[in-house]
Amino acid sequence: MTAPKPLAGADLCVHCGFCTQACPTYLTLDDENDSPRGRIVLMKAIADGSLAVADPAAALHLDQCLGCRACETACPSGVPYGHLLEETRAKMVERRPLSLPTRVLLYVFATPTLAAAFFSAGRALRALGLAALLSRLPGRIGIMMATLAVSHRARARDYRPRAGTPSREDVAVLQGCVMEGLLAPVNRATERTLAYNGYRIVSSPGQKCCGALHAHAGARDAARALARENIAAFEASGAAYVAVNSAGCGAAMKEYDHLLADDEEWSARARTFASRVRDVSELLAAAGPIQAAGQPRKLAVDHPCHLQHAQRLTDPPAKLLAALRLTDAHDLPDASSCCGAAGLYSLENPGLSQRILAPKMASIAASGADCVATGNPGCMMHIGAGLLRAGSRVSVRHPVELLDEAYSREANV
Amino acid sequence: MDSNTRILADRLANIVGPRHVKTGASELLVYENDGLPGYHKRPRLFVAPGNREEAIAVVQALAAANAPWVARGAGTGLSGGSLADGVVMIGMQRMRRILAIDPEARSATVEPGVVNVSLTKAATPFGLHYAPDPSSQAACTIGGNVAENAGGPHCLKYGVTLNHVLAATVVLPDGELLELRTPDADAVGFDLLGAFVGSEGCFGLAVDITVRLTPNPERICTMLADFTTVDGAADAVSTIIAAGIVPAALELVDAGTIAAVEASIYAAGYPTDAAACLLVEVDGPAAGLDDDVAEITRHCTAAGARSVKTATDAAARAKLWQGRKKAFGAMGRVAPTLAVQDAVVPRTRLAPVLREVARIAEKHGIRVCNVFHAGDGNLHPNIPYNGHDSAEAARVHAACDEIMAACIAEGGSITGEHGVGLDKLPYMEDLFTPDSLDAMCRLRDAWDPARRANPGKVVPVHRCREWMATPAARS
Ligand SMILES: Cc1cc2nc3c(=O)[nH]c(=O)nc-3n(C[C@H](O)[C@H](O)[C@H](O)COP(=O)(O)OP(=O)(O)OC[C@H]3O[C@@H](n4cnc5c(N)ncnc54)[C@H](O)[C@@H]3O)c2cc1C
Ligand code: SF4
Ligand code: SF4
Repeated sequence: MTAPKPLAGADLCVHCGFCTQACPTYLTLDDENDSPRGRIVLMKAIADGSLAVADPAAALHLDQCLGCRACETACPSGVPYGHLLEETRAKMVERRPLSLPTRVLLYVFATPTLAAAFFSAGRALRALGLAALLSRLPGRIGIMMATLAVSHRARARDYRPRAGTPSREDVAVLQGCVMEGLLAPVNRATERTLAYNGYRIVSSPGQKCCGALHAHAGARDAARALARENIAAFEASGAAYVAVNSAGCGAAMKEYDHLLADDEEWSARARTFASRVRDVSELLAAAGPIQAAGQPRKLAVDHPCHLQHAQRLTDPPAKLLAALRLTDAHDLPDASSCCGAAGLYSLENPGLSQRILAPKMASIAASGADCVATGNPGCMMHIGAGLLRAGSRVSVRHPVELLDEAYSREANV
Repeated sequence: MDSNTRILADRLANIVGPRHVKTGASELLVYENDGLPGYHKRPRLFVAPGNREEAIAVVQALAAANAPWVARGAGTGLSGGSLADGVVMIGMQRMRRILAIDPEARSATVEPGVVNVSLTKAATPFGLHYAPDPSSQAACTIGGNVAENAGGPHCLKYGVTLNHVLAATVVLPDGELLELRTPDADAVGFDLLGAFVGSEGCFGLAVDITVRLTPNPERICTMLADFTTVDGAADAVSTIIAAGIVPAALELVDAGTIAAVEASIYAAGYPTDAAACLLVEVDGPAAGLDDDVAEITRHCTAAGARSVKTATDAAARAKLWQGRKKAFGAMGRVAPTLAVQDAVVPRTRLAPVLREVARIAEKHGIRVCNVFHAGDGNLHPNIPYNGHDSAEAARVHAACDEIMAACIAEGGSITGEHGVGLDKLPYMEDLFTPDSLDAMCRLRDAWDPARRANPGKVVPVHRCREWMATPAARS
């Protein structure tokens, strides 16, 4: 037997408890086993062997973690919670295989031909109106169908932006699996707004799913394989930056260096790659961005966890939205806490995910806004599905879509 | 699990629901320690009541089973006060409703599990706040604050928890319900509420608490004075207070603390090359505040401050305070284990005591980071160390003992606000005579003759002359 490997970074935790009130699952379940501080205790015990890897109670509490990393931005000691969780989940997966639906989904996402078929089937369901119809079903199926049904709200626009003269760096855009599969207009909006702001968009054939979902689930080998393919594809594109419009993907790709740290052949390339990844808001903020004409509209802003807590970005997204020059745009009062989407969580833990979504629904309703902006496909669809099922007319849009529309209105006048 | 525990767990599950009773080893693990690392005590079982009725029923069931218990708020305590060594733990975190806010009477009634800062947030729309602000306010509960009579930076001017508690409903360990309130001016009889506040969970379980809310000051100024010597900062503290100014808060952070904070997500902009900084806040009516700022600046400069910066807007002030309030947590990045000390010395003796602490640290080859409520002489020498290294741990313990002895020798005391709990138990006999300790035992017996609430804490058991005669001791 090999000696137990200590969990790097877990020792930073001084048990002060500052993170507990930032944790959506603790605030929902009121059990310290479902708090960051408690989960760190469990993870340490699993790492040092005093708790069995497959201990069912510990597994339940770790499965119930959203991976939202709100605990990290509350922690004065700098505990790398996200890394501890991924490492522990990877260890747990060895003993306790992932559920069949999760395994199938992860496999499909990692295999471009299957992913293409999967998402076109989804688009067909959506186009036929079946998704909307079935979204009324109770439980998991209803939630899934609602999630699918709302993805179409992002409609493609056909306009040619005033050509920005490429005065800035070359940028390759991550297409992503869900984003390109169900929310392709967001990708187009990303490309147009970046181009309008002076970036030159270059293509990067061979890019794949970023592997975030795989890493979060503990399927590290699959995540690493995807990371290597993406590094190679983006290197070949020659782009100075990799633009990402999905907060979750961006967070994962900025951490490829951590994921591949033990890979002798790839670690250096992973470091260089990670340093080139940018959220689309970072690139736009660096370019200004060009201001839109402004319009009266009541917008509520939600901050994706993997943007604010994992990537620690607050200023660039604010700058992007400020460029809309709206008269009435406000952060939701609970913009700093998770909506409950959390990757596959909404399907794995539907009950808890909906309970975590409930306060968000209430604050959106109280805001009186007609549109919610959030920069992550999972949040867009999860919040959108919640609104759809509640019969609300409030729409959910990606910030770059709003900017793109604003630019397009100007181009058309 | 023995059969008695099983039976008890079932009985409690009938009251609170099975999800809120924990008996499995892995789920109890997280309830094995509070904010003080180093101690691990496994509770016999964990039960979390969801409201006042359930809480009362739980205590009554425990009384019927003659089962000792310990209440736990947020588990941020720094004296091991909420550790349950083989006894039942009652978790109060589910009871976190604010029951009423009365802006006219400037009071609020809360369940004990309400987190300190949530109360201030709820009071903000009324222009009010809850004044006692322990640095842990983002996590700790009002119930825990009452039990520890918690202090905080702003208690220098506004008073500690005791001065802000107006009433409490307490379940005595025998299950009887007791309504305690502050006696009005002409009241006769003992101030029982005063006795309950600070009783460290040994007198009963608070199930609701009414506190005073304080109007927000018209204007607030926060100053950061940086010094090249710790002595200079300590001297400035004495002269400011001696001049008759009562700042809202007067805090000292030294170089070790500054380094930890500035490396953290709560970096506050404290100068990293300073030997110590003072954080001074004045508040009140706008008129006259500038005079206080000028006078404090003068005292700091006279004591050798390199610079004194003033922040008036809310964001800049919040940033300065975040650094101070998250300082303990930030020390986790220095070393894996943290010994948090708490002692009080006469304010005028701050400089020599700090010198002595530094000398002790050097002698034992350990690092001390000071961050404390200087205005009331409440020291927190914190010692980050590697708990896995037993030799280093032994040196830290020796140093802690010497630091405590030094504080007592200067006319101080062994705790300013964190309580005695388990951690400070050994020092009680250094500080009190056998008669005093015996008097404390008898006071405790008046509330809890069976000694069921928080057994083994605060007063050394062998000091209680009647101890051996009680049923709980025999069982
Ligand atoms: C980073 C950090 C900074 C801190 N700063 C300060 C500070 O500035 N000032 C300060 O005073 N303290 C401070 N503390 C210590 C601690 O936060 C306080 O002692 C706080 O009051 C404890 O509250 P809690 O809810 O965590 O209680 P716990 O730690 O859970 O319990 C503390 C005690 O209260 C009892 N108790 C809890 N609830 C009840 C109840 N309903 N009825 C009866 N007894 C009960 C418990 O039995 C125990 O004895 C700090 C701690 C940390 C970790
Ligand atoms: S805030 Fe950080 S150090 Fe404190 S308990 Fe949470 S994880 Fe641990
Ligand atoms: S990642 Fe989110 S859900 Fe998980 S412990 Fe941290 S704050 Fe809680």
